[in-house]
Amino acid sequence: MWSYWSRRALGAVAVLLLVIAANFFLFRVMPGDAVSTIVDPRFSPEAKERLRELFGLDLPLYRQFLIYVRRMLTFDLGISFLSQRPVWEELKSRIPNTVALLGSALFLSSALGIWLGVKAARRRGGLTEKLVLVSGSVSFSFPSFFVQLVLLLFFAYTFPVFPLRGSVSIPLPEGAFARALDYLWHLLLPVGSLVLLGFGSWAIYVRNLMVKTLGEDFILLARARGLPEGRILWNHAFRSALPPVLTIFLLALPGIVSGAVITETVFSLHGVGKYLLDSIMGHDYPAAGAAFYILGLLTIVSNLAADAAYALADPRIRVGRRAQR
Amino acid sequence: MILKRAVLLFLVLVSVILNATVSTAFDVSAVRGPHIRDLYMVIYRDPDSQILALQKGELDVLGDVTRPSDIERLSSNQDVNLSISRGFHLFFMGFNLRKGPWNDKTLRQAASMAIPSIQIVRDIFSGYSEPVNTYLPPVSPYHETDVTTWEHDPRGARVLLEEEGWRWSPDGRLIPPGEESPLKGVKILSPTAQVAPTTAEISSRIANALKEIGIPVSVEPLDFSTMIRRLDLHDFDLFVMAWSLTRDPDSLFAFFHSSMDVTGGYNIQGLHDPLLDEVLEELRWAPDRQTAEGAARKAQQMLSEISPWIPVYSRYMVAAVRKGWDGVISTQATSADNIWTLLNMRSSDGSERPVFWCLSDEPRSLNPLSTGSAYDWQVLGLIYDGMIAVDPETLDDIPWLATKWEVETVSGEDGDHTRLTFHLRDRVKWHDGSPFTSKDVGKTLEFLRDNEIPRYFDNVRDILKVETPDDLTVIVTMKNVSFWHLHNIGGSPVFPAHLLEGVDEWETWQPAAEPHPSVKGLTSLVGTGPFVFREYRQGEYVHFVSNEDFWLIGGD
Repeated sequence: MWSYWSRRALGAVAVLLLVIAANFFLFRVMPGDAVSTIVDPRFSPEAKERLRELFGLDLPLYRQFLIYVRRMLTFDLGISFLSQRPVWEELKSRIPNTVALLGSALFLSSALGIWLGVKAARRRGGLTEKLVLVSGSVSFSFPSFFVQLVLLLFFAYTFPVFPLRGSVSIPLPEGAFARALDYLWHLLLPVGSLVLLGFGSWAIYVRNLMVKTLGEDFILLARARGLPEGRILWNHAFRSALPPVLTIFLLALPGIVSGAVITETVFSLHGVGKYLLDSIMGHDYPAAGAAFYILGLLTIVSNLAADAAYALADPRIRVGRRAQR
Repeated sequence: MILKRAVLLFLVLVSVILNATVSTAFDVSAVRGPHIRDLYMVIYRDPDSQILALQKGELDVLGDVTRPSDIERLSSNQDVNLSISRGFHLFFMGFNLRKGPWNDKTLRQAASMAIPSIQIVRDIFSGYSEPVNTYLPPVSPYHETDVTTWEHDPRGARVLLEEEGWRWSPDGRLIPPGEESPLKGVKILSPTAQVAPTTAEISSRIANALKEIGIPVSVEPLDFSTMIRRLDLHDFDLFVMAWSLTRDPDSLFAFFHSSMDVTGGYNIQGLHDPLLDEVLEELRWAPDRQTAEGAARKAQQMLSEISPWIPVYSRYMVAAVRKGWDGVISTQATSADNIWTLLNMRSSDGSERPVFWCLSDEPRSLNPLSTGSAYDWQVLGLIYDGMIAVDPETLDDIPWLATKWEVETVSGEDGDHTRLTFHLRDRVKWHDGSPFTSKDVGKTLEFLRDNEIPRYFDNVRDILKVETPDDLTVIVTMKNVSFWHLHNIGGSPVFPAHLLEGVDEWETWQPAAEPHPSVKGLTSLVGTGPFVFREYRQGEYVHFVSNEDFWLIGGD
């Protein structure tokens, strides 16, 4: 077993190095750089050249690469070209909002979707299944900006229950508790919109898995043994269907940090998604590279976590365990 | 043709009359503010939520309303006043003059006649833009109307080409004089429809119009940075682009002088015309305004003949202000979302309520030394002042931190120099209470020049020396002679010398996050301007309070 995990760890390190190299070279093969996108006749070619020197873009590529690798390995994420602020500070100010928004949306939409999917599979042809199939397909197929703008129009303007923008009121309420409540109030509508848009795919996926699992012989045997239906459903059928669900869930975790550009724009939230997009569009190599590096790291960790979780969820796939006859 | 013009004029007039309800001429010297106490610049990124916030009363001022549907919607809202101004925007199509067929002037002139600018403006912008046929925005004081214009006339374009020996192949493509083969297909580089939908639509219409006279054109949509790279490398036939210009015409030098035809230079089309170069040099190094005006006029007339671009339209600037505020200022050159409005506005009911002003994206660094972001400068522009300001009505220079100035040409051992003498306003204070003196101006100019700070590089690189004979006089001698030195030096923001001295690395200076060294409650973002910076909550808002010591309040 230890050799398996050491091989997986080595593989993870190799992937990380590949991510670092790809982050560096992919941005450099894109046409232009942060300076070439400045189109302002008051900014002469000499002034642009001075800026290029300040950004270190005049150095030979191999030196830029070595500096970049050293920085990534020591978690010195550098200074953003666009803001001239440390990239880590930029990310640090955005990650809490993004994690709160997308983390809660992922947990809620997956929990709701799984619960509805299991319910739908349990009663084939019933009202629940029909509702899940229809609402799941509809919510999954609507463009997010449209749904979010409609929600904003209804619940923040026509019936102003929620705020139109941001994560805090202006001016800020007094007291920590009031501020926490204010923050939750601001997050409710964006999170709700993401749950509405996201639960459908979970529900349909889990429903399909469960339908297949509930038709297996071991479920028939469990029923023949007279086990309670709830236990058959959750302890036997759902546990058997759990590994692929866990895989999807764990691989969706890095997305919690990558942000949601449209949601952040519609609700004017200070998050990573818009920052990442602006960094790519503005050729802000340090900012975009750092964000992708962190995402790469999280993806690698999530993959390892998914491997470990399989073993917990399904003892049949534990490494090193001999097949029992 | 006349009918089309009349229809457009009607549309524009109607929109101006209907919407420009707060636009009135005003006397700058009568402004005595600010009268408001708290100002919040609130970040709303999505244009739809901006409109909802304004309608709901969560925003008081919303600038840069661009979508015709939004303008129509707001113009019927009883709680909102709209203002419309002409602005400094200019959209054009450029040719690559380095190669055929676009090195042929007749073809360029015929192409100009083929493009239906009026129709484009009417269809795409519902009249909220104006067609242009010159090389400076119409609102510029240097804009010249006495130029050769190429009115939309596809039939006339064909006649013009025919007169110069152009023919058409059986499939309708143009054949250049003296050649047998028709023109090969050419492409217009354009940003993609996802990034710039109206620009993509205009490119498509231009391509169709050029096809009508036999030029086989198609559109090549590109990512903006890829497009700029292709332009930098001169790898193109045609391109579309928009500039946001200033009141001064010296941009003509950057765009059309042959010395600017370098990689990354702004003479993208590669125009080399020795006669025009002479006029542009006269403009760039004009010793006084009169010479500058004459050179600007002549340059525009020559450019209209040469036709290195096809100017298409200039966008109107539209801003919306909720009713309940008096003293809102808008002019033919400035929509209501300007600093004069902030200096002059007050609540109609006399209450001291805060103003909520829309910021369409978040500031990047709030470092006045390095940032080039327009959102940063919306904030910084309320904190820092220059010695000279611009009259929003006439666009003339007006006294600001300097009460008066002299521009002279003096002779030295190494030739002539422009000498600028600024007489500073007395009893002006920085937000931290320190007196503003000539040392602040001197230190600022030297700091910007010695550190070769890119944003200010072109403004200050020609400074020969700065002298401060007393606390209220600054003499700046330039290495050469140019009337524009006055605007470059006088218009630059002035920073407090006592805080600049503590700046070790100007690139990463974060004055908004750095507590003031001696005054509690302030940051290092300290200026002489009408508003004092209080807080920037990232991604949410910027909070200011009015500067109670601002020199304009009760001043002369």
